[in-house]
Amino acid sequence: MSGIGTGYDLSATTYSPDGKVFQTDYAQKAVDNSSTALGIKCKDGIVLAVEKLVVSKLLVERSSRRIHNVDRHAGICVAGLLPDGRMVVNRAAEEASNYKSFYGEPIPGRVLCERLASYMHLFNLYWSMRPYGTAGLLATYDEDGPALYLVEPSGVAHKYHGTAVGKARQAVKNELEKMKLGQLTCREAVVEAAKILHKVHEEDGKPFEIEMSWICDDSGRVHQRVPAEVLAEAEAAAKAAMEESDMED
Amino acid sequence: MASSRLVAGSAVADAEFSRDISLGTTIIAVQFAGGVVLGADSRTSSGSYVANRTQDKITPLLDHVYLCRSGSASDTQAIAGYVQYYLAQLQAERGGPVRVETAAMMAMQMAYGNKNALQAGLIVAGFDADGGSVYAIPLGGTLLRVPFAIGGSGSAYITGWCDKNWRGDMSRDEALDFVRNALRHAMARDSSSGGCVRTVVIDAAGASREFIPGPKLQPTYDELPAPA
Amino acid sequence: MLPRPTTHSKALGPGVAGPELAVATSAVLDRPPQPTAQRPLSGAQAFSVDPSLVESADGPRQHTQYPYVTGTSVLAVKYAGGVMLACDTLGAYGSTKRYKSLERIIRVNARTAVAAGGEISDFQYITRLLEELATDDYRTDDGIELGPREVFSYLTRVMYNRRGKMDPLWNSLVVGGVEADGTVFLGTVGMIGTHYTDSHVATGFGAHLARPMFRERQSDDMSEADAEALLRDALRVCYYRDKQSINKFQVAKATGEGVAIGKPFALETKWDYKAFAAPTKWAIGAW
Repeated sequence: MSGIGTGYDLSATTYSPDGKVFQTDYAQKAVDNSSTALGIKCKDGIVLAVEKLVVSKLLVERSSRRIHNVDRHAGICVAGLLPDGRMVVNRAAEEASNYKSFYGEPIPGRVLCERLASYMHLFNLYWSMRPYGTAGLLATYDEDGPALYLVEPSGVAHKYHGTAVGKARQAVKNELEKMKLGQLTCREAVVEAAKILHKVHEEDGKPFEIEMSWICDDSGRVHQRVPAEVLAEAEAAAKAAMEESDMED
Repeated sequence: MASSRLVAGSAVADAEFSRDISLGTTIIAVQFAGGVVLGADSRTSSGSYVANRTQDKITPLLDHVYLCRSGSASDTQAIAGYVQYYLAQLQAERGGPVRVETAAMMAMQMAYGNKNALQAGLIVAGFDADGGSVYAIPLGGTLLRVPFAIGGSGSAYITGWCDKNWRGDMSRDEALDFVRNALRHAMARDSSSGGCVRTVVIDAAGASREFIPGPKLQPTYDELPAPA
Repeated sequence: MLPRPTTHSKALGPGVAGPELAVATSAVLDRPPQPTAQRPLSGAQAFSVDPSLVESADGPRQHTQYPYVTGTSVLAVKYAGGVMLACDTLGAYGSTKRYKSLERIIRVNARTAVAAGGEISDFQYITRLLEELATDDYRTDDGIELGPREVFSYLTRVMYNRRGKMDPLWNSLVVGGVEADGTVFLGTVGMIGTHYTDSHVATGFGAHLARPMFRERQSDDMSEADAEALLRDALRVCYYRDKQSINKFQVAKATGEGVAIGKPFALETKWDYKAFAAPTKWAIGAW
C-alpha cells in the first residue's frame, strides 16, 4: 500500500492524489486476508462454503459461525472481520423483516443485495466512520429463482455464477471457472466445494473446519446449513480425492 | 360531518343534502380462467342527493392491478393515492411487475392501520404471473383471497343471486356477463347504486375498460325499458 | 346501609320522598342550574365526570373499534399425547354469513397451534406477529424453538398491552401444543389480556354450550378418537344453537409429531324427531 505514511489514508473522505480511498482499500484487505469462503450457483440453488481455521485446540467445534440465516429465503456467508460481518448480517435481517412487514412478501434477492450494498457504502462517506472490513456472500431464492451476490466493503455488489473471497480466492476462482456450473446440482456442488476448500487450504497441517449452507429444492427453497451427514460425506469424498492426487504425485 | 350551518337558509337543506360524500355503491370482481373482471355502478351520493352520476369507482393501482372502492369517497381516494405511490416506488425498486397479492397487502395495511379513521370497503383484483386473482378488504381491514367478491350497499341485494349464478369455470365473456347482471340487479333495488355500469377486464393482454350507459341496461322486474 | 332522607325532597316537592338531586333544579333556584364537569345535572356524584361536558367537538377520543368480520367459538381439549382444537370456517359480517372458507387455526411452529375467534383482521395481524416471531427463531438457528407456553405468554402480553392503550385486539385466542419435554399445553387469552390454562377451553358461545360437555367427558388421558368424537359432538351443539355458525368445521391436532390442521368437513345433524315435525301435537293451543 503506497498510501501508508503519506497521510492520505487517515479518513475515508480523503482521496489520494491518484484517486484512491485508502480506508476502503484497507477494508478490502481485511477481507482478502480472511480465510477462504466461496459461493456456487447451481442449476437448482446456491451453495455457500467457508473454511474456518481452528485457532485453538480448546475451541468448541462449530462454535463460531460464518454463515447466517437472514430470512427463510436468504443467507449470508461473511469474510473478513467477523464482528463487522455480524453487523452486516443483522442489518440484512432487519431489512428482510421490514420489507416483509411492509409489503407482505419476502424481500427479493436483488433488493436485499442493493440495500446491503447501500448500507456498506454509507461507511465510506464520513470521516468519522470506518468502512466495514467484511464482505458478504449472499444466497437468495425468490420468485425469479436462486441468486448469488457478493457485497464488498466499498459498497460494490455483483451477481455471480460462482465466486470466492479470502486468502485463496484466486485459486478457488480458477477451480470454479473449470466447472460447468449451469449443469451442477447443489448436492454435487457440496462435494465440489469441499474438494476445492481442501485443495486450496494453504496452511497444510493446520486444522480447519468446513461450514456449508445451501438453498435449493433439497432444502425446501429455504436457506439452511447442509445436513451434517451430507457434509460429512462430502468431506470424506474430498479427503479421498486429496489422498488420491497425493498418490499420483 | 358537514353541519347544517353550511347550507343555512335552505329549509330542506340540512342532513339529506350535506352528508359525507359516500360511495353507497355496488362493486364486484370475479376471477376467470385467464384473468379478472371488475365492475361498479357510477353513483355517488351525499345523503339523498346524487353528487355524481358518472363516478369512476374502479381505480388503477398499477397497469395490471385495479381497485374497486366503496365507503367514503374521500377515504378511499386517499388510500388509492397512497397505494399507487408505494406500489410505483416498489415497482421501481424491484425493476419488475408487482404481484396482485402485494398490492392487496398494501391496501390492507392502509385500511387496517387506520381502521378507526376510515370508512373503506375495497376489492383489489388483477393479473400477474400466477393468473388472475381477487382480494376482498371489507371494513375492518381483513384481507381475504376469494374467487369473487361483492361490496358496497348494493351487494346485500345480490348475495343470493351471486351464490346461485357464480361458477368457477367461467370464460371471460361469461364472467363479464355475470358482473353486468349482478350490477344491474343491485342497481335495480339499491337506491344508493345507479347510473351506469363500468367494467375493467384484466388479462394477459392488459386492462380494457367498458362503459354501459344506464339506459342501455336491460330492465329488471317491474321496470320500463328506456324509450328508444 | 345507605342513609335515606326522612323528609320529602325539596327539589321534587312536598309529599314526595326520595334522594336529593345532586344539583338543585329551578324549582328552588332563581336561575337555571349550571352543570359542571364535577357536578353533572344527571345527579351523579362528584368525581364521576359527566361525559357530555368533557367531550371534544369530535366526541370522546375513541380507539376501541367495533368488530366487522368475525369468527365465532373455538373449542379445544387435551388428550393423551396432544391437544385438539376445533372451530367452524365462517367469517361473519355483522349477522351476514359472508365468508365461508375462512381458516381460523394457524400453525405457529412444529409444536404450537393458535386458533382465534373475534375480529379477523386483528387475528391476521396477530398471525403476522407470530410469523415474524417464528422467522426470528429460524434465523437464530440455535436449535431452540418457542414452545406453546412461550407463545401463549407472548400473546397475553400483546393482548394486555393493546387493551392498556384502549385499543384492544378484538379476539379470543386459544393456544395449544406440546412442549419439548412432551408436556401438553392448552390455554386461552381474551381480548383484554385475561388468560388461563386448563384441560379444556372454549371461547364465546362455546364457553356455555361446549364446556359443560367437556367437564363431563374430557380427561387428559383420553384417546385421540374419543377426543375427536367429543369435539364433534360439541361442535354440533354449537352449530345448533349459535346462529353465527355454519356446518363447515376444521379440527387441528398438535402432538409431539407436529401440528396437523385438518380439511374442512360437515357434521351430520338430526332433525327427524317426530315432535319436530309437529311440535304442538300434544299441546293443543300452544305455538
